[in-house]
Amino acid sequence: MISYFTNIYAVTLGLLKGLKVTLAHLFQPALTVQYPYEKLTVSERFRGALAFHPETCISCDMCVRACPSDCISLEAKRNEATGKKDLLWYKIDFAKCNFCRLCEEICPTKPKAVHHTREYELTFTSREDFVVRWTPDVPQPKGSEPGQVWSKFLTKGQKLGPNPGVPASTTGSKPVAQI
Amino acid sequence: MAKGPWTVLGPAVGSQTADAIKRRYLMSFVMLGCIFGPIFAVVVGVQLKVGEIGPLLGRAMDAFSVFAAQRGAPVWVVPAASFLVPCLILAVLFNLAPVVVIWLELKIAAHIQVRMGPMWVGRFHGILQPVADGLKLMLKEDIVPAEADRWIHYLAPVVVLVPAFVAYAPVSFGPRLVGIDLDTGTLFVMAVSGLSTLGLLMAGWASQNKYSALGGLRAAAQTVSYEIPRVLSLLPVVMWAGTLSLSGIARAQEGLWMGILPKWFIFYPGIGLIAYVIYFICTVAETNRTPFDIAEAESELVSGFNTEYSGMKFALFFLAEYAYVFLGAAVGTDLFFGGGSAPWNFLRFIPSYVWFIAKTLGQVFLIILVRWTYPRIRVDRLMEFCWKFLVPWSLVNVALAGALILWRAR
Repeated sequence: MISYFTNIYAVTLGLLKGLKVTLAHLFQPALTVQYPYEKLTVSERFRGALAFHPETCISCDMCVRACPSDCISLEAKRNEATGKKDLLWYKIDFAKCNFCRLCEEICPTKPKAVHHTREYELTFTSREDFVVRWTPDVPQPKGSEPGQVWSKFLTKGQKLGPNPGVPASTTGSKPVAQI
Repeated sequence: MAKGPWTVLGPAVGSQTADAIKRRYLMSFVMLGCIFGPIFAVVVGVQLKVGEIGPLLGRAMDAFSVFAAQRGAPVWVVPAASFLVPCLILAVLFNLAPVVVIWLELKIAAHIQVRMGPMWVGRFHGILQPVADGLKLMLKEDIVPAEADRWIHYLAPVVVLVPAFVAYAPVSFGPRLVGIDLDTGTLFVMAVSGLSTLGLLMAGWASQNKYSALGGLRAAAQTVSYEIPRVLSLLPVVMWAGTLSLSGIARAQEGLWMGILPKWFIFYPGIGLIAYVIYFICTVAETNRTPFDIAEAESELVSGFNTEYSGMKFALFFLAEYAYVFLGAAVGTDLFFGGGSAPWNFLRFIPSYVWFIAKTLGQVFLIILVRWTYPRIRVDRLMEFCWKFLVPWSLVNVALAGALILWRAR
């Protein structure tokens, strides 16, 4: 008889304890990040989109040979006056790239002509857009700006959050990253 | 993280900076202030100007009848209007209350799981998400299984929904705010809401699906059993109040005990609390919600009786469930929390419908919290809990209430 009532008491206590747990979680700030409006900062050594700087590149073909997925290609012309190679175009196919950093490690220039950024918004809307092509005249080709996919879907009055992945200077043509 | 009033609310979360948490807390306080400040101001202002809605409606009705008599309108216009206006108000409430409850459910469920829930539709914390969901369900294709019993399959959602609507009629939302003030209001609500079981059984049978059939049968067994302690738990209240009318019971709870505690039935020593706990458990079971959701147990029965329903017909089932949640809380407010009356006299300036909605939403919050806290119980344990625990204790409660009444009358 007594055990019946102590049982009821214990069960009620347990149920109330459960309610306390959920109530405590109810008032915790949510872990969710409201993605296009808020963005997480990725780690410093994050391997995001590749950036390329045509004016630094010496067209040595090292990155093309190092690339395991064969996504980099370039064409250069011998400059008879200086005896050096002049870059004609440089292409990275982001559909093939596996973000391994081998091209950046092998790159002999200082600062690196090809390097990873912390940009992770690499969505493209067509197969052709995946191939980004740099030439000395167009150091920042269309399709390699950060947040370009999301900006299509913004309506009036909406703003994207600041992009923490890419320091402002890497979006320009000056190479800064030295990892 | 800097110390501040926000630190007592919860621990800092690893992936967020201290500033972000602080900003979010401050924003939520500002938001709450922005919502409740104007509401409070409007309520106080309206209260000083016009007073309660019920008497106001009565005065408007009088003015309308005088106007109709002067203009020589037919005799039936005034009675027809006096029928139609409460019907319209009830219809609006019936469609609005589930929307609010669904939004609360989405947000509370999300925040219990440390998520945010809908944040986009309607711009402010996804306030229009239930409306968007409803529109989506309305526009979806209506699929009837080839082997289904077509007519019963069509009728089942209606049979579930209509009693939910009808059961709102005698609920008293404050003084003179009643659809129809039935003398047998409590009995009417219990009897009519019990009819929905038939719809669940029809849905389970007509779908020609083993999961639906099992779900329908389970729903029938469960709701029929839990109806008994639910009605028995209301008996002490009815005995004390001496009436079955919901507005009469709400009126019987006015006054204070020792000048402190309001004379609500939940505060009646022991018996009132036991009665309310049994009523609350049975309400959760009647609405087939989680600790007792064996009728639509996702992990066993796909979705139970509504497995074969989609689009608008599923929306009707959904609407009926949330209408019953609000109805259960509203009846609980009338029976145990004194209806729309303010607990203390100095709070009288807040109108009764605000009190009523606050008390009801408090209970709705509890029902939602219970759903997202406890796991589902097994079928046999569910039946055992009802017949071996709730029914005997509600009978004991009735006996105790009778003894108390006899002792007081001596």
